[in-house]
Amino acid sequence: MVDGELVAFVILSAIEVASAIMVVTAKKLVHNVFWLAMTLITIGGIYLLFRAELIALIQIIVYAGAVPVLFLFGIMLTRRKIMEEPHESE
Amino acid sequence: MSGHLIDLYGWSGALASFVLWLLSLPFELLNWIALQTGAQKPGPLVGFIDWLAGPDLTALVALIVAITIVLLWATAFHLLIIMWIERKMYSRLQDRRGIMIGLGSVEILRNTIGRIPILGAPFRRPSHLGTGFLQTVADGVKLFQKEVITPEKADKWMFHTAPVIIAASTLLLFVAIPWSDGFWLMGSIENGRPVNPLGILFILAAFSIAPLGILIAGWASNNKYTLIGGMRAAAQLMSYEIPMLLCIIALVVFAGTLDPFELVRKQTAPFSLGPVQISFLPNWYVFNPFLWIAFVVVFVTVIAEAERIPFDIPEAEAELVEGWTTEYSGMRFGIVFGFKWLRALAGAALISILFLGGWSGPVFATFMVPNMAAAGQMYPVPILPQEFWFTLRIYLIFVVFVWIGWSVPRVRIDQILNIGWKRLVPLSLLSILLAALARGAWWS
Repeated sequence: MVDGELVAFVILSAIEVASAIMVVTAKKLVHNVFWLAMTLITIGGIYLLFRAELIALIQIIVYAGAVPVLFLFGIMLTRRKIMEEPHESE
Repeated sequence: MSGHLIDLYGWSGALASFVLWLLSLPFELLNWIALQTGAQKPGPLVGFIDWLAGPDLTALVALIVAITIVLLWATAFHLLIIMWIERKMYSRLQDRRGIMIGLGSVEILRNTIGRIPILGAPFRRPSHLGTGFLQTVADGVKLFQKEVITPEKADKWMFHTAPVIIAASTLLLFVAIPWSDGFWLMGSIENGRPVNPLGILFILAAFSIAPLGILIAGWASNNKYTLIGGMRAAAQLMSYEIPMLLCIIALVVFAGTLDPFELVRKQTAPFSLGPVQISFLPNWYVFNPFLWIAFVVVFVTVIAEAERIPFDIPEAEAELVEGWTTEYSGMRFGIVFGFKWLRALAGAALISILFLGGWSGPVFATFMVPNMAAAGQMYPVPILPQEFWFTLRIYLIFVVFVWIGWSVPRVRIDQILNIGWKRLVPLSLLSILLAALARGAWWS
């Protein structure tokens, strides 16, 4: 019999580890922020698996909602140019 | 104290078990044929039939049906209606009639149903005298037909991810918003009453994800208008979320709960505040001298969260084309643009639950409705059920949004941030102080 919580935990932590790696390897700032938000939201999901609903929701309000966008603002607004070059087209 | 009409889980459970029973009929027939041709006594398919019509699958299908009902109720029904309300309302404010396409404008309906003597009357009306409701449907169909264009220099992956983030976070709002004591998706029943201990927090968490999607949408389009619009939108949404959270903290300090059902139950009683008892006034928190400041602040922040007109500088048409939604086309545009209305709808529902008594309303008369969860039982339902009162409040609040939006000029971005940080945050801290005093002294 498959344990549903174990499956959910494995999927969530796989996404979390993968996106945590992407945070430090992605080249563009907005990509980093997106992957950071992904990491933080999946951590919220793992809190849910621990039956800690309150801390999961606080995690999403504070970390997923506010922190990445604040990072982005801080870095973008302190740069000399906001968009330094157009992205290359694939 | 009024009752509710829709018992969501009861109805969806009944529907799910009926559908699964229908699905299991052919297998019952096969089983019977197998028995006639000499199979062993229970039949080869009994296990499968038991699984198909069993409680596990029924519960799963009932949950899927309930989610579908709630999301369709919010998007396909209320979204069209509030778009219609907005367009008719601002047209009347501008002393014109606005959209008028009605059933009589559809040639096929006009020539067929319109010929029927009495029943066809609404289909016979000339097209300039319609109600205009079909215009919103026509706009939706038009958006579905349009091509989805991805700008050549856009970050394609992010460009198509952002509408998903925005749509998902907006639909998450409606998971936690209850429409009545029986029409809710998230919660459980304790002592015969629905409870959802963290419902308000869930709604706020869903509100807080949108700025990320908007910022990504604005950046990924690779267009300076969308980038400026996205930055403005994120700055505005982030800074207005703080007074909104603080004011809801004030309310939570006063009421002592984050449960939307409990908040509405507390507000259905007659007004009472410590020694003061007023029998003709409901105990809505907007009437509370310690909380009306929080109501005003939450009202303003909800308008800003939905990017409605006094605070719609992120999409200021005169300077930024269409703001952060400029480069989207087709149904992508429909999602990012239409879901702003859905956030306004959810904000109106939140205001109604927090301050305006939720779905409480007078009962005039009742009629009997069969109870889907328990066969053979009936329960009384008022002719104006809770869903009616809640929807009425949401629409009235939305009309006030439209009224404010089309009466005042747009606020500049620096003025927006000034209002947010220098006016609303101190006011919300003041309301926390008042609520804590009221709670700590003797009233609550």
